[in-house]
Amino acid sequence: MLRTSLHSVRALGSRPAAAAAGRQWQLSAARRAVVSGQRYYADGKKPTDEAKPAVLPAEHTLTAPSTPPPPPPEVAKVASSTIPPENAPLTPPAPGPAVVPETTTKIPPPPPPPAPPKKKSFFRRLRNYILTLTFLGALGFGGGVWYSRINDNFHDFFTEYVPYGEQAVLYLEEMDFKKRFPNVASRMTGRRTDSGDKVKIPAQSGASWRVADGSEPASRQSSAIQKVNAAKEAPKPKAEPATVVEAKEQTANLPKVQAEETNLRSSPPTPALASAPAPVAEKPSETEPSPTPAPTPAPTPASTPAKTPFKAPEVDEPSRWPPASPIDPLAVPDAADPVVQDLVRMLNDIIAVVNHDGANEKYGATIGKAKNEVSKVGQKIRDLKTAVEREAADQVKKQVDEFDKSAHELVARLEAAMTSQEQQWRLEFEAEMERLRKSYDSKLKLVQERERQLAEEKLNNQLLQQAVELQRQFARDIKQHVEEEREGRLGRLTELSAAVADLERLTAGWNDVVSATLRTQQLHVAVEAVRASLEDARHPRPFVKELAALKEIAANDPVVDAAIASIHPSAYQRGVSTPAELVDRFRRVAAEVRKASLLPDDAGVASHASSYLLSKVMFKKQGLAAGDDVESILTRTQTLLEEGDLDNAAREMNALTGWSKTLSRDWLAEVRKVLEVRQALEVIQTEARLQSLKLDA
Amino acid sequence: MAETTAPPAPSRAVARPVSEALLNEKWDRCLSNLIIKSSLGLGFGVVFSVLLFKRRAWPAFVGVGFGAGRAYEECNYSLKQAARDIKKQQA
Repeated sequence: MLRTSLHSVRALGSRPAAAAAGRQWQLSAARRAVVSGQRYYADGKKPTDEAKPAVLPAEHTLTAPSTPPPPPPEVAKVASSTIPPENAPLTPPAPGPAVVPETTTKIPPPPPPPAPPKKKSFFRRLRNYILTLTFLGALGFGGGVWYSRINDNFHDFFTEYVPYGEQAVLYLEEMDFKKRFPNVASRMTGRRTDSGDKVKIPAQSGASWRVADGSEPASRQSSAIQKVNAAKEAPKPKAEPATVVEAKEQTANLPKVQAEETNLRSSPPTPALASAPAPVAEKPSETEPSPTPAPTPAPTPASTPAKTPFKAPEVDEPSRWPPASPIDPLAVPDAADPVVQDLVRMLNDIIAVVNHDGANEKYGATIGKAKNEVSKVGQKIRDLKTAVEREAADQVKKQVDEFDKSAHELVARLEAAMTSQEQQWRLEFEAEMERLRKSYDSKLKLVQERERQLAEEKLNNQLLQQAVELQRQFARDIKQHVEEEREGRLGRLTELSAAVADLERLTAGWNDVVSATLRTQQLHVAVEAVRASLEDARHPRPFVKELAALKEIAANDPVVDAAIASIHPSAYQRGVSTPAELVDRFRRVAAEVRKASLLPDDAGVASHASSYLLSKVMFKKQGLAAGDDVESILTRTQTLLEEGDLDNAAREMNALTGWSKTLSRDWLAEVRKVLEVRQALEVIQTEARLQSLKLDA
Repeated sequence: MAETTAPPAPSRAVARPVSEALLNEKWDRCLSNLIIKSSLGLGFGVVFSVLLFKRRAWPAFVGVGFGAGRAYEECNYSLKQAARDIKKQQA
């Protein structure tokens, strides 16, 4: 509701009130109708249900096209319900036959309807379908157009997506606009057309020599009589161009007034005007050979026939004179002078005006006079010009003669002056030359003098320099001699110092030698101390102190360092066993090894026991027994040890394998340690000896 | 000499027996093991003989045999293991 009211308000704002009101009324009417329909619908629902016949026949509805047309079946039903002839009351027998034919006649119709309707129905349906479609489409389109004028959004949608929607809406809007502002529309269109016409230019417009046909201007501003005249004279071209005529309307009012005044003044001689055209006509004939405008001859024949239909004034009409022949325009043969030209033009204008006004007869005489005057003036001006020209030529000739004479004089005078001046200049030039020569001579002399002086001074300077040089050389010589003397003494001193230095070096070297010998001695001592500590001991004793002393004395001797490094740390930390100890231990080891001497590779308890038992009964060897068996190796080691050959003993024992080697492992390690220490000591001792030998050498 | 060597000896014995005493040690162990096992077997045999076999002598002997056999086997195993170790070391 609010929406519709808003719409209506908007419509009111943008549309004529009447239309809006109309629409409102329509709206309200529609609403009322809707309401009433609703009410009706609410009330009469059942009746519609009951009354099936109220349903539209299928022919008219598209919704149920397949439903067979109801009437035929009903008819058939009716026929079937009512018709059966058996059930029909047979009470009236007489009229029975009359009734029966009726029923029979009633029966046949039903079959035909279904067949034709079916064929018909298809086309009809199609037609109906198309009709409804077009109707609905038109309705929808119309509705769309209408609604698009109310709703802007819908307007956009409609104009964009519905074909021809935009045109329709635009057309409607245009119509509406026209209806609302009829004046504006007309004005706009009128102005438009006006402007369109205004721009156009007639083909024969613009300035031209041709006399424009005066139909248009005459119709604009002249009276009926003039119009008639103009109509009569229409074929006769005028000397005036159309533009001149137009200009006359604004500017040439004054001449017109004057002309009128003259007209008034010369009103009495109007009858004479009739004769005036004759001389005017004669004049052009006289002036024909000169360059006169071409149209002039034409008008005269044209005008004469135009004049013939003049009628004498009736009694009731005001009296009037027959129209005089138009005055011919003036043409002056020698109108070269601008003043004369202007005059002629003016007169021609006046003549044209007069011709135009149809007052030829009035002004014919005066204008003829004026023409004569003008031609006379032209003649006079020509004469005057020729006289003046002749005079001027004479004067020019005289002037030229005078000029020639004076020029000759001038040239002669100039030549004389030039010669005199030349002589004077020559004299002056010679004097000047003399003076210049003198001055240059004096300058040359001065320069020579100066050169000489310069040379003398240079020589003097050289002499002085030589003297100074000599003195300097003498002094240098003396100094050199003295230096040489001194150098001799100093050289001896340096020799002495060098000898002293040599001596010092020698002594230092000896010192080195002494210290080295000392060191070697100390080394010897240290080595001896170590050896003593090793041999002296009855039981292993650490000799770390001795070894440290030895290392210190050796003072980073690489050989000594290497030797000491080769000794196992445990050797000097715990000491090494003595040979006696080693022999003692060997005896024990040998007993054990002998027990296990007969063991096989993979020996069990039995083999161990047997080996133990059998070893007891084995013979013992003596001395350096040959053979690789355990017994012989042991005896050899024994003898070697007794001889004191630890090295070879160790080698022999190292040849053992299996259990025997395992059992003698510790003893071997001990022996090796002792041997290492011994070797290291020997190396150090040899090193010390080598050093002492070096020093000796 | 015995006194002087004594101090280092115990420590060595604890850490690692002297090489020449390896076999003796094994023998010692075997013997002690034999005594213990055979005595255990004897004990069991005696008990069995008293409880089950009406104080017959043979169960005791069987027990001793079992114990001695067991000890022997263990000793044998240890010796062979040692021999295998030696071989492995030498190899």
